[in-house]
Amino acid sequence: MSAVTATISEDEMGARTKPATPDEGARLGFRLTLPAQILVLFISAFPLLMQLYISVTDWSPLSGIGWWNAWEMWNSFANYTDLAADTRFWSALQRTAIVMLVCVPAEFLLGLALATLFADDFPGKRIFYSILLMPMMVVPAVAGYMFFMLFQSGGPVNDILSRIVGTPVTIAWLSDPNLALIAVMVADIWQWTPLMFLILLAGLVGVPEDQMKAATLLGADAWQRFTTIVLPKMKTIIIIALAIRVIENFKIFDTLYIMTGGGPGVATETISVYIYKVTTQDLIWGYGAAIALAILIVLSIVAVYAMKRMAKAREVPA
Amino acid sequence: MSAIHLQNLVKKFGDFTALKTMDLEIADSEFMALLGPSGCGKSTTMNMIAGMEEPTSGKILFGERDMAGVPMGRRGVGFVFQNYAIFTHMTVRQNLAYGPRMRGAAKAEIDRRVGAIAEMLQLSPLLGHKADRLSVNILQRVAIGRSAIMEPAIFLLDEPLSNVDAAFRAVMRTELKQLQRQFRQTMVYVTHDQLEAMTMADRIAVMDHGVLQQVGTPLEVYNNPANVFVARFIGAPGMNLLKGRPAESDRGLVIDLGPLGVTPPLPDELATALRTVRGDVLYGFRPEQVTLAERGLSMPVSFVERIGARTIVHLGEGEGAVKAVFENGVGLSVGQAAVVAPPASSVRVFDAATGLAVRAG
Repeated sequence: MSAVTATISEDEMGARTKPATPDEGARLGFRLTLPAQILVLFISAFPLLMQLYISVTDWSPLSGIGWWNAWEMWNSFANYTDLAADTRFWSALQRTAIVMLVCVPAEFLLGLALATLFADDFPGKRIFYSILLMPMMVVPAVAGYMFFMLFQSGGPVNDILSRIVGTPVTIAWLSDPNLALIAVMVADIWQWTPLMFLILLAGLVGVPEDQMKAATLLGADAWQRFTTIVLPKMKTIIIIALAIRVIENFKIFDTLYIMTGGGPGVATETISVYIYKVTTQDLIWGYGAAIALAILIVLSIVAVYAMKRMAKAREVPA
Repeated sequence: MSAIHLQNLVKKFGDFTALKTMDLEIADSEFMALLGPSGCGKSTTMNMIAGMEEPTSGKILFGERDMAGVPMGRRGVGFVFQNYAIFTHMTVRQNLAYGPRMRGAAKAEIDRRVGAIAEMLQLSPLLGHKADRLSVNILQRVAIGRSAIMEPAIFLLDEPLSNVDAAFRAVMRTELKQLQRQFRQTMVYVTHDQLEAMTMADRIAVMDHGVLQQVGTPLEVYNNPANVFVARFIGAPGMNLLKGRPAESDRGLVIDLGPLGVTPPLPDELATALRTVRGDVLYGFRPEQVTLAERGLSMPVSFVERIGARTIVHLGEGEGAVKAVFENGVGLSVGQAAVVAPPASSVRVFDAATGLAVRAG
């Protein structure tokens, strides 16, 4: 036994630090990474626990006691029962879902179309590529101001529309309860299609060219190649792209808040805007925490589902 | 099944000429190997036959039919890629069924054809397996089956064995040859490995720098190379070529090899042909045909390579270097002088100026 161990440790690199048994190795590894693990655990778990704690109280920064003493203001889950009956919460949630259901598919389809276009060479490709990625690099708050100005009733959007129609158009985009949401969605699509494009392009260029050629030789036309080779090969990356955008879009805030502030009235009030108002304007922190926690649970379900789909996409043939 | 005619085929990529005026007739059910070093234009030729590249000029005919403008999906060509290009996200069954499915065949029809092909290629037990975890010989069979199910008139194979390790290549070669006998399709096989070309092909087209050098059966190409390139390229090691000048002697026409001395007299027919050549010639003979003799070329041994039963003896240096292959060990060691003589019938002579073989008759 000892002779065997000796030959192995002499042959392998870093033989001296090699532990005698795998068990010991695992224990050593655990001890070495323990500080980092505690830090990570603290960073991710602490705010969550704090939020959970506050969400079952009536605590706010104006209560005059530290948050750790919030138990004095325990309200027997009243925040959660209120939440269930809060129509403003439910309509915000519905609005958020609508924005997501419009924006993410739009970004996906536009991104996929652009990626397909950019998978082939054409003159000026590099320049277009750079221009296309620019929206993603704009600070969302700045993008918010840009679209705020674009959608003014005397702004460029109406100006262009006037030229097309021929008569002056003076649509009050941001103060019309129905149109404001559209304007907000346009801004989101403008800003985040590039990310979708970038991820999908990476997936698209990863599709083996010879398999595409083989499919062509076997008589598949462009659409058949797309559905039978390209899409199945991109499945994992499509799930990743969609999951990223679903989660991000659900939290839509900065651009929107600058453009409309959630208004007119509550016409563009999404979940994030509602939480922001509840905590910073109404100062009911306990309630805000309860809403945020509910959203976290919803998003976690999305994330878990996406990861399961991803694992499945890799294992089972299409 | 169909013959392939390549007529005045030219392919240019910008300023670079990949293929210079190629004419080649590939007969129905023939196994033709396109053999040459990388960049010789063999893959370009194949891609043009498949329709992946458009010829700059010239014609490709399948039988009587001109292929100009016919897209690759409609040429009735089966193509086996270098790495097989198996659809890894599908099962073996889905791979085999791909062609008929894309052509909109009925499900029962697809099942019947997949079943038949799988049976023929012994893939039946593997139909449900996902294609990304198969061994190379299975991949080769799937690749061939996937094309064969379309019943193509022509099969094109692009160096299918180049990613396979040497030991397995022999197995794959045998299998491939058997498959060709089974299907009886016209096969065009691109390779840079002469062993593959020699063992499998009915005829070999040797190419270099976009020029077709010689077309012939493996033995023709080996025994009667048309020019210096073919002589050096075919055979392992290639033909020995020694520079010299024809000279008359009392025993007949010989070649004066300068410091190496004078060769044995050439056979009469070759001598007759050689008398028309002016200037230097190359005296060629196969390393395998060299024998140790009493009289002949005396050269010092510079290196001895033992490869199992075979022994390669390197003789002389520089321009006058010669290799000799012996099937058994020979008692030669470095520094020793060896007297070698190729049998007169195996001698080939090339015109040094043009590189072309001087043919008897």
